Amino acid sequence: MKNNSFFGLLCIALVWCSFWTQAQNNTTSSGVLSGGFETNTQWYLNDKGLKDEFNNPTAQPEEPLRSNSYLFLNYNYKKWTFGIQGEAYEQNALLNMNPKFNGTNVATYFVQYKGDQLEATAGYFYEQFGSGLLFRSWEDRALGINNALRGGRVILKPVSHFTLKMVYGQQRTGFDVTDAQIFGGDFEWGLSKVFKWETTDLSLGGSYVGRYEKTDIVNPNFDALTNAYAGRISLTHQSFYLSGEYNYKSPDAVVQAPGQIDNRLIKPGSAILLNMGYSKKGFGIDGTFRRLENMGFFSERAAKGNVFNDRIMNFIPSLTKQHHYNLANIYVYQAQPNVLLAGSDFVKAGEIGGQIDMFYDFKKGTALGGKYGTKVAMNFSNYNALSGTFFIFNPQDYDTDFLGFGQRMFSDFNFEITKKWTNKWFTQVSYIKQYYNRQYIEDAAGEVNTHIVAGEAIYKFDKGQSIRVMGEHMWADYDRKNWAAATVEFNFNSKFSMYVYDLYNYGNDLSHYRNHYYNIGGAFRNKATRLGINYGRQRGGLVCVGGVCRFVPESSGLTLTFNTSF
Amino acid sequence: MKNIFFLLLLSSFLTTAQSTLPEVTLTNLEGKSVVLNRDFVEKDKLYIISFWATWCGPCINELDELNDVIEDWKKELNLEVIAVSTDDARTQKRVKPLVSGKGWPYTILLDTNQDLKRALTIVNIPYTIVVKNGQILHIQNGYVPGSEASLLAKLKQL
Repeated sequence: MKNNSFFGLLCIALVWCSFWTQAQNNTTSSGVLSGGFETNTQWYLNDKGLKDEFNNPTAQPEEPLRSNSYLFLNYNYKKWTFGIQGEAYEQNALLNMNPKFNGTNVATYFVQYKGDQLEATAGYFYEQFGSGLLFRSWEDRALGINNALRGGRVILKPVSHFTLKMVYGQQRTGFDVTDAQIFGGDFEWGLSKVFKWETTDLSLGGSYVGRYEKTDIVNPNFDALTNAYAGRISLTHQSFYLSGEYNYKSPDAVVQAPGQIDNRLIKPGSAILLNMGYSKKGFGIDGTFRRLENMGFFSERAAKGNVFNDRIMNFIPSLTKQHHYNLANIYVYQAQPNVLLAGSDFVKAGEIGGQIDMFYDFKKGTALGGKYGTKVAMNFSNYNALSGTFFIFNPQDYDTDFLGFGQRMFSDFNFEITKKWTNKWFTQVSYIKQYYNRQYIEDAAGEVNTHIVAGEAIYKFDKGQSIRVMGEHMWADYDRKNWAAATVEFNFNSKFSMYVYDLYNYGNDLSHYRNHYYNIGGAFRNKATRLGINYGRQRGGLVCVGGVCRFVPESSGLTLTFNTSF
Repeated sequence: MKNIFFLLLLSSFLTTAQSTLPEVTLTNLEGKSVVLNRDFVEKDKLYIISFWATWCGPCINELDELNDVIEDWKKELNLEVIAVSTDDARTQKRVKPLVSGKGWPYTILLDTNQDLKRALTIVNIPYTIVVKNGQILHIQNGYVPGSEASLLAKLKQL
């Protein structure tokens, strides 16, 4: 911690000096200072009308006024960049964030040199190797994820078609870093340049990531160092494209629940990802297949499966469509890469499945296209648990089938039709059918089948005003059952908007639990600044961004968001 | 520490808006590396750089609407639209078929780990900037239906 503060202060001093240099000598030759500020403040309120499953009203937490704030400053001088980010979680972080986010402190800082063939960074940095299945460090403030590495990174580009990255560091957790050391490298090689192909693109890539974490376990059956390798290939020929990758993680202790390192079950992990598609103007089709086995990877073994996504090293998103309708985001799939041997009828060692997407544009002037064209999108995804032979009782073990589809965990079939009728009218309708296995995805009971019908219409008035109306209905046969939702948004001009929406769980079996989740708010935008205010109720459950989810409790209150960049 | 935070915050409001593009490497749909302020530098040309994602409804509406007018605009102005997808590995594979299915004529770039988005401190998308001769001259934060008219008026002034 002390260490962190010291480097932080040093960076502040550097940026500060640069700032004054610039202020006193206001020419571009003295560099450019830029940055941004964001705050999300919430005032949680008591709400007697918002009951939980057990008929308890919603009570405000201790410290009902909470905020997450971020200030980022960047100073660029010729080939050098200095950056620093301060974060403040005052009177504590928003509900259900990682408790390590508390107080105000310097969070990240870096100094970077960027030349034509060499880029070098010291301090905190974000990086992703390939698709991120072995290694990704990134920031997602809404989810409370910031797993930047603190250390060094070098990127070499000796020729335009070859890139080599090397990283070393310790991972950020809260305002500190973990003890474990992470190091690795990644290359990307554009072969079509070498062969001087004109219409075909071919590239190869490969990664290595090592995690060195000493263990307290006496006589461990696993190495302190876990090695992970990946190879990938990508081919594009005119309208056709294809890519594939294989990832392997060396044998390591299986962790079935956070903190429980199993010294008797030592298993490797693997991931296969295949993608192919064809696209030309007006038409696109894409298919993805993925098989994951024991692929959870954390900078500390014991962190596997923690609900805050803390110390996560790789990015395993759920490969499904990310819906923009509210009700379609109640039963959201989360990728299942981990091992769980809970009972003879409840075993997981990973997932297998994929998705298909299709997009088509009925051209303007055709029978179905009309004056402005009609756009259609279709998507189907399905994921099963890996099948195999599982031994539940001591000693636990498993052996998976390579192409074995076990218990189905999730599927989603959906299509949407987007139509512009006139210069002023625009509509979209969607149908979504989902299967969601609560046991396999949430470790809760039961299976849910849903049908969702949703529609959206936008009408433009003269003088830049417009209205957006959205209606949704979900039929669900289990859990909280049927929902209805409506949204109205009015845009006064390009700077000011207001909205009101309500999600109503009218079909709940428990009469006290048939909640309305209403919200009303507005947003004001000017240049790089946005101010938003919202009053209403937050539905408890998973809030997901990019297929990674965070659990939030039901709450009621006033939210203020402000962000700006300069 | 708290005081330093607020001091820095205060100082940030005294500075002027970011005017140049940061030097960040993106990739195009063929997987080639692209740096905005090196590869898109035609003199006096207006570059409309729009940040979007496959899961962002308003972003897609904005780019669809722009597609209906862009040919007319090009008759009057020397401009190019660059649509920077901030999709991460979850949805990035949907970018190419979606762009084809929509028939968008834009230059598409991928900001997979959101390096450019972060460097410009963009919190919400859609977010559109207009760049001319390497300088950011206009920012449109968010999108409301019908804002093409005000964007065109602005472009004519630049």
